[in-house]
Amino acid sequence: MMSNAQIEIQLIASLVAIACAIPGTFLVLRKMAMISDAISHSILPGIVVGFFITQDLNSPLLILLAALTGIITVVLVEYIQKTGLVKEDTAIGLVFPILFSIGVIMIAKNANDVHLDIDAVLLGELAFTPFDRFIVSGVDVGPKSLWVIGVILLITIALLVAFFKELKVSTFDAGLAASLGFSPAVIHYGLMTVSSITTVGAFDAVGAILVVALMISPAATAYLLTNNLKRMLVLAICFGVFSAISGYWLAHFLDASIAGSITTMLGLLFLAVYLFAPSKGVIAVIYREKQQRTEVSLLTFLLHLKNHTEERERHVNHLNEHINWQKVRSKTVLDLALKNNMIQFEKNIVSLTEKGDAFTSKAIDYIITNEDAQIEDMKDDFFLFRG
Amino acid sequence: MKKNIAVQVDDLTVAYNYKPVLWDIDLEIPEGVLMAIVGPNGAGKSTLIKSILGILKPIAGSVSIFGKSYEKQRHLVAYVPQKGSVDWDFPTTALDVVTMGTYGSLGWIKRPGQKEKKESLEALEKVGMLAFKNRQISQLSGGQQQRIFLARALVQNASIYFMDEPFQGVDATTEIAIINILKELRKAGKTVVVVHHDLQTVPEYFDWVTFLNVKKIATGPVKDIFNDDNLTKTYGINYKVSIQE
Repeated sequence: MMSNAQIEIQLIASLVAIACAIPGTFLVLRKMAMISDAISHSILPGIVVGFFITQDLNSPLLILLAALTGIITVVLVEYIQKTGLVKEDTAIGLVFPILFSIGVIMIAKNANDVHLDIDAVLLGELAFTPFDRFIVSGVDVGPKSLWVIGVILLITIALLVAFFKELKVSTFDAGLAASLGFSPAVIHYGLMTVSSITTVGAFDAVGAILVVALMISPAATAYLLTNNLKRMLVLAICFGVFSAISGYWLAHFLDASIAGSITTMLGLLFLAVYLFAPSKGVIAVIYREKQQRTEVSLLTFLLHLKNHTEERERHVNHLNEHINWQKVRSKTVLDLALKNNMIQFEKNIVSLTEKGDAFTSKAIDYIITNEDAQIEDMKDDFFLFRG
Repeated sequence: MKKNIAVQVDDLTVAYNYKPVLWDIDLEIPEGVLMAIVGPNGAGKSTLIKSILGILKPIAGSVSIFGKSYEKQRHLVAYVPQKGSVDWDFPTTALDVVTMGTYGSLGWIKRPGQKEKKESLEALEKVGMLAFKNRQISQLSGGQQQRIFLARALVQNASIYFMDEPFQGVDATTEIAIINILKELRKAGKTVVVVHHDLQTVPEYFDWVTFLNVKKIATGPVKDIFNDDNLTKTYGINYKVSIQE
């Protein structure tokens, strides 16, 4: 039987995962993954200042102050980049360590008064979240972190539903979005604000490193599996939640850090999909390339038959020397041609069938004209023309 | 008969990092022309279009569309950016990209519905891409991608169309298909402005031309001003093109 604390930890981890996966999907598609890294570190001074003022890590004022530091980071990075003196990744690398260090110094200088330490900042303390309760007029309504991330998640979902179309068009084609009147700048800073607030809200529970992992990893994994934006969002959310819960149990059995275990699960999940994804996975790509090599060979072979009427060029025993292939490859190609009824044997002489002849002519036409329309009906049979 | 002015550009200057890329441009585009903007690389052709559409902020000058600011006339204008300006690996389908053309008339928050879907399918049919409606956009050839962009502009049902190098990297069949659609648009009284690179086809495709190289060199009917003199002024070398009479 799971204890209440266990259920609460898994619930908080899952809500954080969902809240991160949504902005994370758009960050990945906008090629801005590193910005989430920058935000997650540079909000530290904002959190420290907010903590001096409110003495409460879950105070809405602290969250807004820290989120503001996140926005300042984005503005600074863009400003430095706009000067044209350094590239974007360099600008990111310049800005966030400085802001983060300011936060670190502030914590060190006030270590006696502030219950905030660097370990917690980097890795969070998911295990302790159930102890900080939210009490409303004497009644315990659950952990504060649960409420904080729950509210942030609800706002994120509401914004996603309302502005899905705007997010999509400005991510895909900022120029079109601008010409249609959907200011890309407004949408950009809206997304940055949501990312910052989510980061701050999740920070206390999971720390600066896991926040980045939860934003980027599920989205990157989902990207390998689908060609549909909505499905990518749903998959990213599922991967995030799966990693959160399985990571929790991994930590439980290994007696290790929950945050570290969740990040490990995210990494393993990505690795599995990276290898085994049906069309974009490494294995699928290798298989497809092998198929394509075979089909190019097949085409070369068919062309040879079409070009040579002399029987000696088409005798089964001399094929190898004429085309200059190894035995194994020749056999694969012959089998493939036979299987597709493209060649026939007559007393050890190979010749094209009607189908093989038509196929070869079409293929030559395609290679010369490069017009896709001619080979639409061939695409299902052969990898070669799937581009 | 004096034609209406579709687009009026006054004293437009645009700069990147304080270096002017367009300098003091005055330009009138009459309604109903099919106009090419020609000029060498870096002449500011795309910049001119983007400034007219409010995507770039000029440092001086103004633009009006049928006498009013672009913000007020947005619904009358459709835009086809350069094909290379977007990420074709984006997870979406041909139909979805075309539907984006309807977003402008929907405004903020409202989602496209059955009406928008029907219009988008019709636009896909017009460019001969209906069979590819559910195809992921990275699986389309360059010419097919350009047709999708054209369909997206058609679905906006605008009065003025701006196209940034629609013939770049497309095969001959697609080029003919596109130019036929542009000519149909002109026949329907629309104004079409195209950033164009192939000088040989200017007299065949267009009836109006603007020569641009940071400054405006000339603008007017192709038959009057498309000559070696203006080409030399624009491209800086002694230019000779044979124009079929």
